[in-house]
Amino acid sequence: MDREAYRRAFDSLRFSPDFQDRTEALLLEWVNRQEQEEATMNRKVFRRPAVLAAVIAVLMISVSAAVVLLNPSQVAEEVNDPLLAEAFQSEGAVLLNESVESESYRITLSGLVSGAGLSRWAEDVEEDRTYAVVSLAALDGTPLRHTDFSFGEYTLTPLVSGYSPMAVNNWTLGAQASCIERDGVVYYLLDTQSLEMFADHTVYLAFYQGFLPSRELFSMAEDGSIAFAEGIAGPHALFTLPLDESKADPAAVEDFLESSGINPMLGFGS
Amino acid sequence: MAPFGTEEAIRRLVETYSAMLLRLAATRLDSVQDAEDAVQDVFLKLLSAQPSFRDAGHEKAWLIRATLHRASDIRRCAGRIVPLETAESAPAREEAPENELLSAVRSLPPAYSAVLHLHYYEGYAIKEIAALLRLPAATVGTRLARGRERLRRMLKEDD
Repeated sequence: MDREAYRRAFDSLRFSPDFQDRTEALLLEWVNRQEQEEATMNRKVFRRPAVLAAVIAVLMISVSAAVVLLNPSQVAEEVNDPLLAEAFQSEGAVLLNESVESESYRITLSGLVSGAGLSRWAEDVEEDRTYAVVSLAALDGTPLRHTDFSFGEYTLTPLVSGYSPMAVNNWTLGAQASCIERDGVVYYLLDTQSLEMFADHTVYLAFYQGFLPSRELFSMAEDGSIAFAEGIAGPHALFTLPLDESKADPAAVEDFLESSGINPMLGFGS
Repeated sequence: MAPFGTEEAIRRLVETYSAMLLRLAATRLDSVQDAEDAVQDVFLKLLSAQPSFRDAGHEKAWLIRATLHRASDIRRCAGRIVPLETAESAPAREEAPENELLSAVRSLPPAYSAVLHLHYYEGYAIKEIAALLRLPAATVGTRLARGRERLRRMLKEDD
């Protein structure tokens, strides 16, 4: 490999000359907006569990979806990961098919599996990871297509009770979500650092329209449970993952939090 | 908003890391605009999360990992998943050598392209890449060798 040829190739890219100016302006605007919001915020971050229950009750959870969906193994096949497809058929996989109807969509958590070397992308890494499949379909059967539906506007992220959604989420866990569309249904395949270490807490999988988890999107009760903030727009769902509590690893959680450098209660308490 | 919310801190972050992060995002994204969006998202994430880093090395490592993740999300969620086998066997187009190399790098599995780029463009040694990506050094060495071989094969086939 010729290092100079490699450098020439990347130096030939023409990024916007005003990128730095635009980015600085964008970040400053964001900071100013946050400071204004904090100054005027008169609602408490913590909400009572009873209020949370009322919010959650708005979401209808059922155990079966009306449309025929690809199963998690088929989704893994579709993203060209036969190793993961096999893992989703193993005894260790959990198939759920839990659906939430939100706005005019049905959001379904199909299943999850955890372990090391389960994916073609991680077969040479001795690190446990968790994979989960969530789908999004229109309730009236309208096909969701790339041409008229922005799949990238949605976020699928793990959250853990007792920890700020801004501290434990897909970013800090090194998660990635693939998405594909098949027969008008969008499938998201989440690939994240293993969630089993948190199994002595309630571990959630949140799907929503938006980007970073924030106080505008989530609230936390005094007991540490997490729910969507009232009045958020767009289809959203919060699933609870059935993890084996015996696999909890508080020492690994402590290491994770320390290495992330983020206050575990960031934005939600001290 | 300390430590990242001041004008001075923002200017330092953007001026120090923009060029490196844009190139890194471009290893996974075909569009310059997408790469710019990915890097802006990462800076916003940093302001939002406000992590406390032990030193500049940890700050840089965090930004590199976040950029790779964000670029992958954008690529995968834009419906541009191209199976590796398909990408490698695609007929060669008439391209400038620079474009040919860029296309080949983007066709590599992300795990390989990240390591290759950090080594060949940014000049990091295997141990340094291992620390940046939180991977065992042996894994980085394997990925570097495999990525280099695949890239060589792809470019040779295009000749």
